[in-house]
Amino acid sequence: MSVAVVGSGLAGFTAYQALRRGGLAPEEIAVFGTEDDPAGAFRRRAAAIRQRRMRSESDGHCLPATFPGLAARSALGRRSPAPLVASALDRYHPTLEEFLSHVERVRERSGWERSLHSGRIERVRAVDGGFELDGNGPFPHVLLAPGQPGLNVPEELRADPRVVHAYEQHEYARTVTVIGAGLAAATEWLNALEAGAEVVSVRRREPIRRTLNVPREYFSRRGLAEFHRLGADERAARLRTLLAPSYPRGAAWDEPLRRAAAEGRFRVESSLNGCEQVICATGFLCGFRHDAPLARLVDDHGLETVDTWIVVAADGTVPALTDATRTLALAGAPAQWAFPAADTLAGARYVGHGFLRRIKACRTR
Amino acid sequence: MSYTLRGRIESRLAALLPVVAVACVLMAVMHRWWPVQAAGLMLAAGLALDVLVYDRVLRYQPAWASLPLGALELGILLGLMRVLGAMAPLWAALGLFAGGWLLAQLLGQAGFPLLRLGYAEEGGELGRVGLVAALAVAVALTGAGATAYAGRAPVVYLAAGVHQGPLVITRQEILVGDPGAIVRGGIVVRANDVTIRGVTVVGGDNGITVEGVRGTVLDGVSVSGAKLDGIEVQGAGIMIKDCTVDMHGNSLGKGIEISYNMGMGMSMVEGCTVVGGMEGITTHSSMTDIVHDRVSGTEMRGISVTEMSMGTVMDSEVSNALGIGIYCNDRSMCMIEHNTVVGTRPDVASGNPTRRGFAVLASFQSEADLRDNQLDSNPVPMGAVINSRIAATH
Repeated sequence: MSVAVVGSGLAGFTAYQALRRGGLAPEEIAVFGTEDDPAGAFRRRAAAIRQRRMRSESDGHCLPATFPGLAARSALGRRSPAPLVASALDRYHPTLEEFLSHVERVRERSGWERSLHSGRIERVRAVDGGFELDGNGPFPHVLLAPGQPGLNVPEELRADPRVVHAYEQHEYARTVTVIGAGLAAATEWLNALEAGAEVVSVRRREPIRRTLNVPREYFSRRGLAEFHRLGADERAARLRTLLAPSYPRGAAWDEPLRRAAAEGRFRVESSLNGCEQVICATGFLCGFRHDAPLARLVDDHGLETVDTWIVVAADGTVPALTDATRTLALAGAPAQWAFPAADTLAGARYVGHGFLRRIKACRTR
Repeated sequence: MSYTLRGRIESRLAALLPVVAVACVLMAVMHRWWPVQAAGLMLAAGLALDVLVYDRVLRYQPAWASLPLGALELGILLGLMRVLGAMAPLWAALGLFAGGWLLAQLLGQAGFPLLRLGYAEEGGELGRVGLVAALAVAVALTGAGATAYAGRAPVVYLAAGVHQGPLVITRQEILVGDPGAIVRGGIVVRANDVTIRGVTVVGGDNGITVEGVRGTVLDGVSVSGAKLDGIEVQGAGIMIKDCTVDMHGNSLGKGIEISYNMGMGMSMVEGCTVVGGMEGITTHSSMTDIVHDRVSGTEMRGISVTEMSMGTVMDSEVSNALGIGIYCNDRSMCMIEHNTVVGTRPDVASGNPTRRGFAVLASFQSEADLRDNQLDSNPVPMGAVINSRIAATH
């Protein structure tokens, strides 16, 4: 086998589909991961925050080409043009069920099981002929898609028995404080209000309101070309700005909050109060240091880093470990240096395309 | 989608390639230049908008924006074609544009993303395909342009002075009269794609006769002293622009008569001044638009649309006609809009009640739709006789 994907979550799965589309057979690809279901981790988190719809739009899927997207498939399935019209108006957000059944269908027909090797890779080492993965290999081309390194709970709250992370299973107490200002926080405000709780939002800044995780031009070369031209410090600063918590605009979000505020059931405060439950909608641990295999990779090979990011090329490959004969690429959040929205499906697709191009250009493949 | 400038241009060129190919085929089959001209103008307008407007204004272009942007580009295309005098049938040009637009949407939303996996994230750039498309479009348009240039009609200049006619034109050409160039005895057009520009015709049976040919353009001609009709067109497609026809002293002739050319598509009489004669402008079994014309002092009718004709009389002025100003007759369908008809005289001597000074008259199973016409200063503003219908709105 010439190609390995480390990580069997959605990022690895989406990149895998690009490889399959590029002509690689399942037997040519080894996927290392701990779960058969690529949507397993996502499914658990979505269930925890009771997510009903995807933030992504029609092309928020796992296939290598943007067409046909979920809107086209939904239109065919429902025999209605409504999803297409909604997509043209940027109003289409697939339901969670639609997305998960899409993942299931793609998994069944892509040969994923034949490529999957159960087990977590702890060490990636560059060797002659490619990369060794915990003694497996060597593989000339490796994509690291390790997923999120863990849930982020503020240091000062870790010992607080009232605390639960938004992405952990939980019910709602009578009085709830939600920490955070992103999509998970906004979802939890509405969940807790719907459950009859009195909700306090604690946040360091006012939420940014936008449809997608980052401004739309950063999903294409239009915004990325300028982003890639930035110097290291500027790019890190830009990333911090772009990755600030946000959630979509719209009455579906605002109206319940306005009503609850009028009833005295929702308010914003600057610090924790005496509530019964604290929900940390504070996302994930950020940076390669929180991911042991990535940290080892950086330390073993002296890879360039800036702040919490590993420096990667525009296509998500690690320059020091990529040449005409081998490729090491990152996918998911670790690839944000190349693609700010790398932790989205579009980001995984972007990295998958870049990885595939490298493999195809490799003279020893 | 967030296009890069290069992505916009490459996507446009690649999507336009089939349109250019169709235009070239149409040009070859129809021996008409307008399809390639239209495709070239579509390309030029689109590229100008891409570079000067879209790239600067639209950092992100949602799919729905294709509709208003398409309408904008269509408007610009039609404007350019009008300004440049492109002789395109309106519906055919609209069809070419609509087909091209639809194809561009299909390719942009489905075809290109399937062809090139990174299409969306690369801002619409197509790599080598884009380069090939650009070259192909350039080659096709240049080739078509060169072909059209090589096959263009020769220009014949008619020097100032009197030339004895009748002048019979038997090949495709552009006849341009120098100031003071006069043909005495009439001109007869017997070849397709003849343009006569700036020539004065005096006398002749008909001043200018056009029969059984296509693509004739009479531009800025002046006709007087014809024994029969000023300009006589039979079974021919024609565009007459900015002409002057003087029929004084010929009470039986028609200033401009266009007959039996239904199979030739739309003809047009635009910006002409006709004085005297039995009728100013007449159509028989014809689809002709009569626009921005001035007709005065006729002895039978000012403008006549008759014998199952379909046409528009618009923005024209008819004055001092005897009997009837504008006549829609014999199972014809007439759109009569924004015209002024003044001073129609009752034809008392005829004893015919339908000639008692109608500004507009529909007769014998005809249908006339009137809108925003000035008809007040006439003995009878409008009427419909013998199973005809006339509908007026303001």
